[in-house]
Amino acid sequence: MSTVTWITARGLFGRRRFLMLLPLPAVLVGLAVLCRSLGVDPAEWGPPVLVGLGLAVVLPVVSLVVGTGVLGAEIDDGTVVHVLTKPLPRWQIVLPKLAVATGVSAATIAVPIVVAGVLADSVRLGVALAAASALGALAYSALFLALSLVTRRPVLLGLVYVLIWEGLLGRFVSGTKVLSVQQWVIALADRLAPTDLLTGAVSVPVAAVLTALVAVGFTALAIDRLRSFSVAGETS
Amino acid sequence: MSEPTGVIHDIGYQRYTGPRLGRRQVFGALWLHGLRTIFGLGRSAKAKIFPWLVIGIVTLVAAGLTAVRSQTGQVVMTYAQFADAMSWLVIFFAAVAAPELVSRDLRSGVLPLYFSRPLPRGDYALAKLLALATGLWLLLGGPQLVMFLGAAFATGEGLTGVRDELFDLLPGLLYAGLWAVVFASVGLLVASLTGKRAFAAGGVVAVFLMTTPIVGVLSILPSRTVNELALLASPSTLVQGVGLFTLGDQMAPAGAADEMIGDFGPVYALGAVLLVAACVALLLLRYRKVAAR
Repeated sequence: MSTVTWITARGLFGRRRFLMLLPLPAVLVGLAVLCRSLGVDPAEWGPPVLVGLGLAVVLPVVSLVVGTGVLGAEIDDGTVVHVLTKPLPRWQIVLPKLAVATGVSAATIAVPIVVAGVLADSVRLGVALAAASALGALAYSALFLALSLVTRRPVLLGLVYVLIWEGLLGRFVSGTKVLSVQQWVIALADRLAPTDLLTGAVSVPVAAVLTALVAVGFTALAIDRLRSFSVAGETS
Repeated sequence: MSEPTGVIHDIGYQRYTGPRLGRRQVFGALWLHGLRTIFGLGRSAKAKIFPWLVIGIVTLVAAGLTAVRSQTGQVVMTYAQFADAMSWLVIFFAAVAAPELVSRDLRSGVLPLYFSRPLPRGDYALAKLLALATGLWLLLGGPQLVMFLGAAFATGEGLTGVRDELFDLLPGLLYAGLWAVVFASVGLLVASLTGKRAFAAGGVVAVFLMTTPIVGVLSILPSRTVNELALLASPSTLVQGVGLFTLGDQMAPAGAADEMIGDFGPVYALGAVLLVAACVALLLLRYRKVAAR
């Protein structure tokens, strides 16, 4: 475990504001337990809880806050200079940070979604959802990590993608679903555990290829951007 | 012991003898500055990107709706329904604007400078809140005005047509005001908790997005009462509930309101008032604590 990994993990967990992320998974589990205990048909509560809350809100929002935070927080307060001036290849900075971001986001979403998936259908669905959302967390984290190097306002740009592209356009213009991480996760989870609860709009090979492409492409972009990185003050 | 040789030169400093403006002017200045901050006026081009992106999209949708209406004569969306349809953009706009208003001041530590003026702590929070509410109202009201102008010029019935259209617009503007007040109070409260703009923006969006699926779940539970009260669970659907109660047929086809909220209309109105009151009270409490530091 490299020092960069250690610093990043401590930067994430050492702050009290990390606790702000906990209500999201808690609500997910709470709703699943509530529906199950009241005996509602899983076909009715499955889609709004698993997809509407889990994959469409908890996964992107957690990935966004964590993914832009691992590097963006250091850029914001200027301490990134201390890491950059060490004789480390840039990929040894980006990859550990990406690994921490992916790990934390995937763990945060995996626990509640396994519980909800088991309550909704079967253990298989729960594990499939967790595995697919871990891949989704990788794609989201790579995207948001690269965003935090490309622009000074990564969170807002990430929100544009999550809210407007995936949320708003995804509902009205079906063509945008091809380029939506959320749809890839749904397609992959449905392939791993076929049920009636999930309906993917993208074919599985397309989803798998695009997920890999986004993860690799944006990581490469982040490494490249960090090569010629200039530290500037906060935007006005 | 030598005599002191230094002298104090009179270089013409003058005391200010003009009128001193009071609390109301400070409040007004802070409100206007807040409003300009929201839209990025007087700031760099980068600060204008996100607000004007949202304004552009909203206006574009309004223009599209107006064009469809003047071509086909069909009302695709009423003014109130337009406000509902834009809810995601309003959330995003609140997530952009609220951290700019309060988080920057927290982070750069300028609050003691503000509070060294004749400005009570509560006034600072209320001026920011009023600015955000005004900004959100303008965001929704502007496009509604575009729709109104389009409809007014396209009407075939002369002044009566314009008057009918105006009576449709006014409740729509009031409804947009309700959206603005509710979203501003919740958004500003969340943003005032952290000095980091990134976290504040994420927090605002998380609060609004996380509560929406709860409504979806509550409305399929096997209890009629819970279903009819489900819209209370999220700020955006709470506003819709109040709209269904007060505006009736402007919001949804006849009978749909009964289906969704039953006889609980007054509960929704009360819920909205309580939510805003609670958020404002917590915001004032928060600034009592921040200012004491």
